[in-house]
Amino acid sequence: MIHMMGKRFDEEILKTAVETALRSGADEVIAKLVEEKKYQIRFSNSSIDVNKGWDNHYLDVFISKKPRFSLTRKIDTLTIHDPDEKKVKKRVPKQVRFLDQLPKSKLYWGMDEEPHSSYPSIKLYDEGMEEFHKKGPKLVKKMIDSADEVGAKNSAGVLHSGISKTGLLTGYGNGGEYESSFCRGTIRAFHDEESSGQGLVVTRKLSNIEKKFEDAGRKAGRLSRRSTGAEQGKPGTYDMIMSPTVGANLFGNLLSGTNPIMMIAGMSCLRGKMKKKVGPEELTVKDDSLVEEGLNSRPFDDEGTPSQKTTLFKDGEFTGLIHNTSTAKFWSFINTIKLKFWRRAKTSSNSILGQMGMTGTEENPRILLPAPSNYRFDPGSYSLDEIISTSTRPTIYLTSNWYTRFTNMSEGEFSTVPRDAMFLIENGEIKKPIKGLRLKGNLLKMCENMQAIGKDTKQVKWWAVDTPTFIPSIKVGGCKFTKARGKEK
Amino acid sequence: MDGKTLAEHTVEYGMNNGADYVEARFIDSINENYFSRNGEFLSIQKKPTKGLGIRVLMDGCLGFGSVDSLEKEQVEERVQSISKMAQLSERKEPIEFSEEKSVKKNWSVPTKIPFKDISKKEKQEFVKKLDDDIKKCGSKKFSIRNKIKNRILFFHTNSSKKYIVTSEDSKVHSDESFISIFCVMNAETKNDKEQRMFGLGGSSGWEWLKEGNVRDVILRESKKLVRSAEEAKKVNFRKPLDVIVGPEVSGIMAHENVGHPSESDRIMGREKAQAGGSFYRELLGIKENNDAKKIDLDDTGVDIGSEVVSVVDDPTLKGSPGFYLYDEECVEARARYLIKDGQLNDLLLNREFASCFGTSSNGAARSAGFSREPIPRMSNTFFEPKDQSKEELVEDVKKGVLIESFTEWNIDDRRYHSKYVGLESYLIENGRITNKMIKRPALEMTTPALLESIDAVSNDYEYRMNFCGKSDPMQPVSVSTGGPYLRMRNVRIE
Repeated sequence: MIHMMGKRFDEEILKTAVETALRSGADEVIAKLVEEKKYQIRFSNSSIDVNKGWDNHYLDVFISKKPRFSLTRKIDTLTIHDPDEKKVKKRVPKQVRFLDQLPKSKLYWGMDEEPHSSYPSIKLYDEGMEEFHKKGPKLVKKMIDSADEVGAKNSAGVLHSGISKTGLLTGYGNGGEYESSFCRGTIRAFHDEESSGQGLVVTRKLSNIEKKFEDAGRKAGRLSRRSTGAEQGKPGTYDMIMSPTVGANLFGNLLSGTNPIMMIAGMSCLRGKMKKKVGPEELTVKDDSLVEEGLNSRPFDDEGTPSQKTTLFKDGEFTGLIHNTSTAKFWSFINTIKLKFWRRAKTSSNSILGQMGMTGTEENPRILLPAPSNYRFDPGSYSLDEIISTSTRPTIYLTSNWYTRFTNMSEGEFSTVPRDAMFLIENGEIKKPIKGLRLKGNLLKMCENMQAIGKDTKQVKWWAVDTPTFIPSIKVGGCKFTKARGKEK
Repeated sequence: MDGKTLAEHTVEYGMNNGADYVEARFIDSINENYFSRNGEFLSIQKKPTKGLGIRVLMDGCLGFGSVDSLEKEQVEERVQSISKMAQLSERKEPIEFSEEKSVKKNWSVPTKIPFKDISKKEKQEFVKKLDDDIKKCGSKKFSIRNKIKNRILFFHTNSSKKYIVTSEDSKVHSDESFISIFCVMNAETKNDKEQRMFGLGGSSGWEWLKEGNVRDVILRESKKLVRSAEEAKKVNFRKPLDVIVGPEVSGIMAHENVGHPSESDRIMGREKAQAGGSFYRELLGIKENNDAKKIDLDDTGVDIGSEVVSVVDDPTLKGSPGFYLYDEECVEARARYLIKDGQLNDLLLNREFASCFGTSSNGAARSAGFSREPIPRMSNTFFEPKDQSKEELVEDVKKGVLIESFTEWNIDDRRYHSKYVGLESYLIENGRITNKMIKRPALEMTTPALLESIDAVSNDYEYRMNFCGKSDPMQPVSVSTGGPYLRMRNVRIE
């Protein structure tokens, strides 16, 4: 039972919204009610800068209408903040009428019509999270102190936490309610201005929470100390070991290409690679919305389709896309036209009413599209120490990165900037910290050149990684590193 | 309770609750999005939103929160909870805000044609027609082969009314209007492929589309994209040479290499776990944060570029993507010379960090919406144009490269090691731009090397629009990333 939540959560609103929309002429409806409390503490110079809190309570109503003799439909989404029956009955019919003014969406082919009587049972909620934000400052201090104990001079970071209740009802009678909680923290510890390390905590539950924060602080502090006195790295070709944080950023960019919307938008380098080998036998990756610790897990998606696991890469082969009902129907239609009848697609339960727009805030409208839940890499068989000790060729170990940008997303050409501790490994040992290099590569080639997959799986989500990703350390051969030039003589 | 009254009540309630400072921002906005792919709409949406952002300073600790409910009880509950949370911070060094005079102002974005006066049909037709025209740029007459295979257009309008009230008796009401279009295009020719992502936008009404020559600029860029994919060839330049960069490239350089390191919160470490720090901290000799008070921002004595380099951040340019007249802390906006004649000259300051530097705010506080706190941001950042024409810059180059637009770019989190990869690029020989296109020339330079290599700046100027990302939660704000042409001497092209 949620005690703090649900004060304003009235599930009858869902029924009112669906009935009102259908009565007003919509063929299909999704009503999604969310009440959430989110908290954030930001800190820098080992001191709290700001303590933040957000209270959100909104109803999203997705509606569609199929004109006669048409394969596709007209669609729209309405968001009502702080909803009540009066607002719903006033605004939903108006929005349904507004559909008539819109053109058909060629990419919307309908939602899940099949009735679902049960949903997977997953525990996404920890009651202790209701009061967690009050303990936040103490945990932040613990994390900072832990970093200082092992050599950091000051730290910056963030602690996010929150609880939410979500209710869903579709015009086909699917849906239900679920509650969830989360907590995630980042600490970046500094020994000096150029020597830093990062630690992360990503969890839903409070068990061992203090230890998780202390471990993250110690990891960041140790890396900051070990990276002291880093020398300018030499540009060239090296093997590379990516920490889970780096792998989640880079391979997250590759995996975002398993979204059919990214494919048709020319932003996926995986187009034309289906059923082809793209990596080693050990590479298996799933989209998994059922893993309890996963921050994007849920019992059903926003169409009320029961959550499932979808294999995106299996034994090195590109095998799956993340679909919702609409993109699956569209994909099947396209394959039928191309006489590839055997390539029928079905929803992978990845339908989300996500924000679409430029402002990056609640002011963006929402749209029903496929979106990833949690990426989950199968662990390999090596420890990080084994990967390092078997690296006999010159190898660079990256612990964090940011600012990954593409020359052409459909080709996968990119560069990214390492940040925090970076080490040169020679003859199986970490030889020295290095700095000032940039990684230049191609996502597909990096995938092909994977040499080892670790077993040190961590869930990664932070400022530079949007989709929660369970991923171990990964070694890739033949990576090019460049450096920025100073003034020419 | 209406939004304005509620904002005023929030401030009064917060002060009665023991706060040292309270600021409330009520925003009532309408966003309209038209999202199309190859002429077919994926979605058309209009979203009205109302909300209140509240910032509280209590015992030297800062709290921030927002509500999407306009119920008095909800807001009071929020104020109490933010105040309690702020106090839990237990800072040793209290946060202080710079002293600023209180203001009571109304300002608005000048508009001729409000978005509400244009029908949805007309907005749809604009996007469809534009897509059709771009498509034609990729097709030859009597040919069904279209070389711009993929055309994504994201057309956006925003109208918002904002009311900011502070416990220091400042009250600023603004009526804002913003319009933008973001394009993603993939050109495929028999020779090669290229991708182009770019944006145009302005603080304006519907008239911007005509006055900003939006269609012409997009079609010009579409043609150049096809040409780049068709004709550009990789060239290995073994020796350093001269490079001229166009408005789009000089704009992103001003933004990344100068604007970001000038943000005072980065210099003082507040963004270190997210968007990063700033190498200016070292340049300014800040070892401990208290050192910032010793710096004379009117005369830093820090040389950072050649004498022709002056970089300005100016929010007061009418029609620009980063236009505003009062910032989100009710401080009057003004132009800031971040670099003047090659010397580091000013920073981007909000009240919190102006206080750290022992000075006044220069009106750089911006936020992406009611649910985000105001922090130091850029507005319209550009190299100050000088008196030579583009042609005069080219005349004096024996061998070089002209880079008009870019694709991939990035920079390290201290804003020191930057990289820009050219898209539309030409070989310059004997003072003339040749027809020979260069494939993806890459400039990978440190910020000081880049700024010192500039020996001439043109008198041309062209706007580009971008959304700058910073903070946590992310706060994209619209900025201008255009500028004049720059000539860089003796640099390496990779």
